[in-house]
Amino acid sequence: MSESLLPSQFQDLEQWGTWSLATEQERSARRQASTMKDIKAFYDAMLARMEEVLPYLEQFSVDVLPEDASRLFYLILSLAEVAPAVEQFGQPSVVDGYDVKRVVVQHN
Amino acid sequence: MKNGATTNGNGTKWHDTYPHLGTAPLPADVFTSEEQFAREREQIFKKVWLNVGRVEQIPHPGDYFVKDLAVCNTSVIVVRGKDGTVKAFHNMCSHRGNKIAWDNKGTCRMFTCKFHGWSYALDGKLTFVPDEERFFGLKKETLGMTPVAVDVWAGFIFINVDSNPQETLQDYLGELGAGLIDYPFGELSATSTSWTTEVKANWKVIKDAFQEVYHVAFLHKRSIPDSFTGKANPHAHCLDVHLYPRHGSMSLYGNAELKPTPVAELAFRYGAFVIRKDFSETRLPPAVNPTHSKEWTLDLNVIFPAFFVDVSEGSYFTHQFMPLAVDRTLWTSTQYFPKAKTLGQRFSQEYGNVIFRDVILEDGRTFEETQSVLSSGAKKEFYLHDEEILVRHSHHVIEQMLNGQPVAAVSHAERKEEADRV
Repeated sequence: MSESLLPSQFQDLEQWGTWSLATEQERSARRQASTMKDIKAFYDAMLARMEEVLPYLEQFSVDVLPEDASRLFYLILSLAEVAPAVEQFGQPSVVDGYDVKRVVVQHN
Repeated sequence: MKNGATTNGNGTKWHDTYPHLGTAPLPADVFTSEEQFAREREQIFKKVWLNVGRVEQIPHPGDYFVKDLAVCNTSVIVVRGKDGTVKAFHNMCSHRGNKIAWDNKGTCRMFTCKFHGWSYALDGKLTFVPDEERFFGLKKETLGMTPVAVDVWAGFIFINVDSNPQETLQDYLGELGAGLIDYPFGELSATSTSWTTEVKANWKVIKDAFQEVYHVAFLHKRSIPDSFTGKANPHAHCLDVHLYPRHGSMSLYGNAELKPTPVAELAFRYGAFVIRKDFSETRLPPAVNPTHSKEWTLDLNVIFPAFFVDVSEGSYFTHQFMPLAVDRTLWTSTQYFPKAKTLGQRFSQEYGNVIFRDVILEDGRTFEETQSVLSSGAKKEFYLHDEEILVRHSHHVIEQMLNGQPVAAVSHAERKEEADRV
């Protein structure tokens, strides 16, 4: 493990590093396994920095991404994952929803 | 015959355009009858063209995928041949019937049966039989893999397990296929995400939920409030309906005044969306968004019997409902996006995927809850709203096919003329 995991200007987000997950399956599982208190804290911290994070990530090619930028990118994908929990449902899972754990995700 | 948001309340119903469908309730036992399911298998699924995938799944010669089709009592290998064309075969060895390909997908120079090593070329020909001399008059040239009719429309691969299909894929897709062919499917299919699950429900319970939006204002009130409904259209009345002999389309209203959530607002900045879109560089063919409304989200296109191609601006998604038994179905939904040019676009697409998944999870909950009480016999029939006309049409077509009647060979245009005359 390197000491500096996120780009230096985003060190403040390092405390949320365990949300930096590469696949939808992992991000969804993390959302389902978290409390709303944790989800909301992560959501608030990320949302507050998105106006800096998005322009920063826009400078990279989608195919060649430095490791620290990649970790930051996975963090914002987790923001996308938890957004409905905060903004729509007020709970980690879809209210009155089909069990997401029964669904197999495949990316092509 | 516009009946959308703007003309909502003038008393015009879709039924007036398609009176042949009647207004009778729907018999409840069509979802639970083993006898009906057996006939759907033989008279529908084994007779019509079924989507099995897209060309992007097998870009190079030797690339293949396997589609298990329990409803057709078979498994099909779909492979790109050495000549670059797409071929399909029953996934079954000529020797003693073992399934030849056990993996879901792969790349190979030839198919070799894992049981006794019989080998087949990519064109299906039997090329090698171990210890061949000790068989008895084996005619290898007649013992290739059994071909399955296959054709491609707009990059979608369809098969037909009927050994002598009654019509070509082009004829089968008819006006609907012709109207959609110029939609930019190729470009928009660069990336896709599929969600698959086995549901304990009849395939039509699932299908019917996705071919009406009467439910949106209620079932989806949390996930997508004010997207498909608005002050001008509180019940999500659709903009247009086109019914074909078997297929059906519905053009859906969208609320242009939608107030996005904070993360949705960030996502909208970096990409077109089902709910919020940029029409400035639109390349939609005229058949898409047929009323040319700015208050439009997407068109549902229901390709009979169980494949949906729902097109929007900048992305599209599909649903497929493959029956496993009368009360079990493999449900797959897939969302397609163009290749993201920036990470902002990838973030935007990911948000689109998450919202789409969470919305269909709301739909998904109803399926097993419904099926679990259908066999009670407590309700003999169900009542369809005018906005559920695609559901009515779909059951009408199924009934016609099961009764061996020719499906109404009246085109959408003729039907409209007729209705306008009355």
